[in-house]
Amino acid sequence: MHSLIQLSIAVLLLPLLSFVILIFFNKRLPRRGDFIGVGILGTTFALSLYIFWSVVVQAYDPAFRVAWDFTWIDFGNVPGVGPLEIKMGIVIDNLTAIMLAMVTLISFLVHLYSTGYMAGDKHYGRFFAYLGIFTFSMLGIVLSDNLFAIYIFWELVGLSSYLLIGFYFEKDSAADAQKKAFLANRVGDIGMWLGILILYSQFHTFSYQEIFANLAAGKFGMSEAWLTAAGILLFMGCVGKSAQFPLHVWLPDAMEGPTPVSALIHAATMVAAGVYFVARIFVLLTADALHVIAFIGAFTAFMAATIAITQHDIKRVLAYSTVSQLGYMVLGLGVGAYSAALFHLVTHAFFKACLFLGSGAIIHAMHHEQDMRWMGGLRKNMPWTFATFTLATLALAGLPLTSGFMSKDAILAGAIGFANAEGGGIYYLIPFLGFFSAMLTAFYMGRQIWLVFFGESRTHLKPADDHHHGHDAHAAHGHDDHHEEAHGVHEVAWNMRTPLVILAALSIFAVYSPDPLDGAKGWFMSMVPTPETVVGSAAGEAQPHETSSASGNAAQLLAEAIPAGTHGAETDAHSEGVASEAASEEHGSAAAVHGTTHGEAHGHEFSDPRQASIAHAAHEAHNPAIVISSIMVVLGISLALIVYVFRIIDPDKTAQSIRPLYLFSFNKWYWDEIYQATFIRGSLVISKVFSWFDTNIIDGIVNGVAVVTKKVAFASGGFDKYVVDGTVNFTAFFVNTTGGILKKLQTGKVQTYVVLLMLAVIGYFVYYFTQLIS
Amino acid sequence: MELITNIGLNHFLTISALLFGFGLFAVMTRKNAIVILMGVELILNAANINFLAFSKFNGGMEGVMFSLFVIVLAAAEAAIALAIVINIYKIFRSVDVSSIDTMKE
Repeated sequence: MHSLIQLSIAVLLLPLLSFVILIFFNKRLPRRGDFIGVGILGTTFALSLYIFWSVVVQAYDPAFRVAWDFTWIDFGNVPGVGPLEIKMGIVIDNLTAIMLAMVTLISFLVHLYSTGYMAGDKHYGRFFAYLGIFTFSMLGIVLSDNLFAIYIFWELVGLSSYLLIGFYFEKDSAADAQKKAFLANRVGDIGMWLGILILYSQFHTFSYQEIFANLAAGKFGMSEAWLTAAGILLFMGCVGKSAQFPLHVWLPDAMEGPTPVSALIHAATMVAAGVYFVARIFVLLTADALHVIAFIGAFTAFMAATIAITQHDIKRVLAYSTVSQLGYMVLGLGVGAYSAALFHLVTHAFFKACLFLGSGAIIHAMHHEQDMRWMGGLRKNMPWTFATFTLATLALAGLPLTSGFMSKDAILAGAIGFANAEGGGIYYLIPFLGFFSAMLTAFYMGRQIWLVFFGESRTHLKPADDHHHGHDAHAAHGHDDHHEEAHGVHEVAWNMRTPLVILAALSIFAVYSPDPLDGAKGWFMSMVPTPETVVGSAAGEAQPHETSSASGNAAQLLAEAIPAGTHGAETDAHSEGVASEAASEEHGSAAAVHGTTHGEAHGHEFSDPRQASIAHAAHEAHNPAIVISSIMVVLGISLALIVYVFRIIDPDKTAQSIRPLYLFSFNKWYWDEIYQATFIRGSLVISKVFSWFDTNIIDGIVNGVAVVTKKVAFASGGFDKYVVDGTVNFTAFFVNTTGGILKKLQTGKVQTYVVLLMLAVIGYFVYYFTQLIS
Repeated sequence: MELITNIGLNHFLTISALLFGFGLFAVMTRKNAIVILMGVELILNAANINFLAFSKFNGGMEGVMFSLFVIVLAAAEAAIALAIVINIYKIFRSVDVSSIDTMKE
């Protein structure tokens, strides 16, 4: 077993250990055991950082891959199913290493931050336990090498999300939110499971690599529509988990959870799991499935951005912003900008976690006031929070020199390239929505910064009856008088400030790329190259290529397998059973050669014509995308300045003049109401129909049977009583009557008997002689 | 002797039938148990006459043997019957058979 695999198993299991210790013993430990959670996560982060260092920095090979698996359950040959063997395994490539470092870093920082934010909560210890199991599940998703394992961890993540959203379960709103989140996720997960089953029915394996190899070999037995359906069904899992358009409604409500949870789960990691999963299955998505994904992502990005501009709750603005940014990532995957989407996933995770933790600091300092209308002027009181929050905001808005600019720009360049390559008018909608959302993002983040940090404090403006508006209240912090607290807002302690600083620092361009305008020149996009599709836009085109690379011919590897990226290596290692390290080494040298001939970035030449044309077009669209997105950001920020700083346009009057639009946005496009009226009402109607059916038809049948049985029993009883008993009684009566008649003969007098005897003898003789005569 | 030689089987049977009729009449009508027993004796003797008559006209000795047997039997019967009558008298203080009907029903 490779040492990295051993380390990654330790990384996976340590948070579980934290969970087990804390869930059982937190009340017996000093400080409710928070130091165990923080300590274990710190260790986990250190190990992950080592893995990251070994894989990404030392190996520096786009095709790096080590894998290990074992048979978990072997059912043998199941009748009607075929061979059913479930394997569990770990795969470590560049993406895994980056995700490991990202997840453990944010989890560690959130643990640290929670020691301040959650201090004094009555379920303080349990909070850390839940964070532990969440981190365990999330790392499981990241490390899994097959669909079955990822589905298990997927559900575990859903469970921990459920537990943490409903952490303040005494509140009805939190309990409702956790149920909503769980149910919305279930809807997506059903689709995901069906997608897994479609693939399983064809290949009898859950492993990514085996599925991809089979697909590349053209062994998919059904029509391509089924493959598209499988892709879209698997994407449904992402729709649920990453809060994409039809199922996005749960994420804003999930803000009922404690703010560190919002930062960890509902901004940085769990919601990104959906995007990560789509990236894992990216190569099997057909062009049609990718179009669906792209449109859903674009629509989600746009819709959530329009909602975010009118929300008052500081966390809800960030929640809709998260939905919008996840839409960007999904859009990126849909248009084939794989590296860019994952790049955005990582950059977004850092700056959005920073924003959420910053908002948590504000909420903490404001004594659980979440409504931005009653904030203002906090920049003097909370300079650290202000600085980090602003930096993260600029990254989210996508201002040049930030990480967000590079990743968002790469996605938008991909979108333009996609639209150009596809050549259809409707496809220009995707980059258009993307750019428009970028402007809206800049606008609503400008609005938020202004409302929260600038101007004068508006605490005293808060209506008195709105006193208990704070959603995030916990027991130890009573609702003190907000009016007097206005001037008592202080900067948070070091354990809450440190995570903010670290996360803000990770939002600077230099961490990812030397060129602030081009993320593709950085290590990230070089290390996570877009993989070659295994399904091909023209059927069968990719096959000869794949088989030749699988043959392991060194010359062909140099000539062809390099563009194939990770695929060739994976197929190779799998089919020949060669230790994967050997395969990756081979490719490492190949990649070095490749790097020198083609340059660091844009090194991929796809054999699939569709992918190649999109990649080419995206490369060409790079500079226009920079210009347009910069203009959009400047436009958005200027609009925010005009409205909120210079007050040239009064926001309230504008809202009045376009009241229908304002209400449409403020009420979140009425999705909740629409779902209430359709699915929820529909479910209730169906349940009523079933209830009616149950009470009237089922119970009717049961009662009918009972009545019939009763009638039959009565008939049977009557028969018994009148016929059977009647016969018996009649027999008795007949015998009695006959006896009564005959007993008269028995007088007891001897002479009567003699007479009778004589009569009988005479009678006999009379008869005898009559016979004799005749 | 002419008269005697003219006596045939029918004469015996006629006498026997008359005797049987008297006996039966006595058994059926008399109330005194002793008289009924006497009627029974008449019936037995009517039977004896029949045995002897048939024996004489058939030439065999079986009828004679049977009649002797019946006489012995009649003696025994009389002894037992009289004993029963005495016991009935002891219980009912009467030998009137019409009043002895405890076997009724």
